[in-house]
Amino acid sequence: MIAPAIDQTTTPAAISAAGLVKRYGALTAVDGLDLEIPAGQFFGLLGPNGSGKTTTIHMLATLVRPSTGRVRIGDIDVSQHPVLARRQIGLVFQESALDRTLTVRENLRFAGWLYNLPAAVSERRSAELLELFDMTDRRDKPVVTLSGGMRRALDIVRGVLHEPRVLFLDEPTIGLDLPNRRRIWRFIERLRARTGMTVLLTTHYLEEASPCDRVCFIRKGKLVDEGEPAALVDKLGRHILEVEADDLDTLKARLAPKLGDCLIDGDTAFFRHGEEDLSELAQLQTDTAELATAWRVRRPNLNDVFMWISAGKELRA
Amino acid sequence: MIARPIYAVLEREVVRMLRQKTRLVSAMVRPLIWLLVIGTGFGTVIGESRGIPYQSFLIPGVIGMTMLFGAMLAALTTVYDKESGVMRMMIIAPLPHFWIVIAKVLSAALAAILQALLLIVLLALLGFISAETDFALLALALLITSLACAGIGMLTASFTRTLDNFAAIMNFVIFPVFFLSGSLYPVQNLPEILRWIATINPYTYGVDLLKHAMLGSTTMAADFSRLTDISVLISFTLLAIAISSWRFSRETAYEPMIHRLTGPKR
Repeated sequence: MIAPAIDQTTTPAAISAAGLVKRYGALTAVDGLDLEIPAGQFFGLLGPNGSGKTTTIHMLATLVRPSTGRVRIGDIDVSQHPVLARRQIGLVFQESALDRTLTVRENLRFAGWLYNLPAAVSERRSAELLELFDMTDRRDKPVVTLSGGMRRALDIVRGVLHEPRVLFLDEPTIGLDLPNRRRIWRFIERLRARTGMTVLLTTHYLEEASPCDRVCFIRKGKLVDEGEPAALVDKLGRHILEVEADDLDTLKARLAPKLGDCLIDGDTAFFRHGEEDLSELAQLQTDTAELATAWRVRRPNLNDVFMWISAGKELRA
Repeated sequence: MIARPIYAVLEREVVRMLRQKTRLVSAMVRPLIWLLVIGTGFGTVIGESRGIPYQSFLIPGVIGMTMLFGAMLAALTTVYDKESGVMRMMIIAPLPHFWIVIAKVLSAALAAILQALLLIVLLALLGFISAETDFALLALALLITSLACAGIGMLTASFTRTLDNFAAIMNFVIFPVFFLSGSLYPVQNLPEILRWIATINPYTYGVDLLKHAMLGSTTMAADFSRLTDISVLISFTLLAIAISSWRFSRETAYEPMIHRLTGPKR
């Protein structure tokens, strides 16, 4: 559960990227990203669709060449030594990387050979990992017969069979139902507890990123904010006020001078409130009673951070 | 170092081939239909071709056909691998990407050789394999012809985005390569344009080498010298691997595959 203590003055970062840029013609998918992820960290790369998360992962994992900038995995420069870098990393793609016609065992055997593992080692590790992921009884089943959650779990087993130092998980729970998402997270937790590997993940499900040691939000290929999940949430304020109204414009005009900028989603406006004390909000509620059809006050969470960042607004009110 | 990854690709190809029984059965039935139906039919019209019965003349052609189809279909699974995701497993593995091309070529050649050997056993049981066959040369011919056929397949695969084009590949690659070779008729008897096309078709030289091996050294069935056949086949295979590797190493070759992700979710 706890990453091994690491003296960061002497150990190079597990992943470091400097001035990372990727252009596709006129489109700039990643625009000057800097990352420094210490060994053993559980790091979340978050951002809206098309913000450059997957492109970033693929650049870090040697599959896409950066237009400019540099990536290092440990002390290996990935542009100069992509093959050496790939030996150190595991990548679980957003879409499955398995042969559906082969069995679980055959897929893992294939993956083990690709990593130059002796058959006995690959066999032993597969058995251990399948055990860890409660999949031992599926070993001889063709992948096509596995459920979506099982397949994703197998993809992760496939990604860590060679015991990489760094594991990239690109949307590991996408397309899965809630029980399966929880299961995948339990597996990732077990893996980290056992190996202490550095994990970089992207996800849309923000609540899932809260166990991360650090998260970084990107938008249009640029880093917008980063920090501990709890600190980012704190930055947003103490409370989130959700107000519903038929005439949102008038309501917004009345509240904005007191509460600052807001987000609009359908017929709901979201305001931030920096004070623990709710008396100001209570007063405003009374003042706008004729306009508001619903009025809710709650604590902010990472989803709010995500929404504010996606809308391109400053976190601090 | 690289032996295990290559072995992985070869093993997977063989496992898949043995599991797809219909693929294996049709690989045996197709040449037998040509030999027994077309060969008999045309044999009665043509009689002898260059001093040997037409059906015997056709034997190297149908063995070549098995290798061409077997290697092409196996090499084209590279496109399937890109679509289904197995290629993702291979591109993230710690080996230079041109080795993936080489491994796929070798596995396609292996599939072709196994199918050709199976067919040769069947033909021998049916009494079609001549006692004059030069088995050492036949072994060499099987090896380098299957590699050249795998090269044609890999080249096609490296220029193909999806297997939706399979009918087009059949019509514009596999059939022309087969028909415009010496499989069904001696190349020298073809009209000039067709003869010219057959001469630049690498597969022609594979069939020609098979004729050298199977139709006896005294016949005139072969069109080129053994040395020409061997050099053309080996050079073509190397060239095909080089071009396919170059196609494959451009990152745009797999960018569509990894970027499809940002499109609609499954």
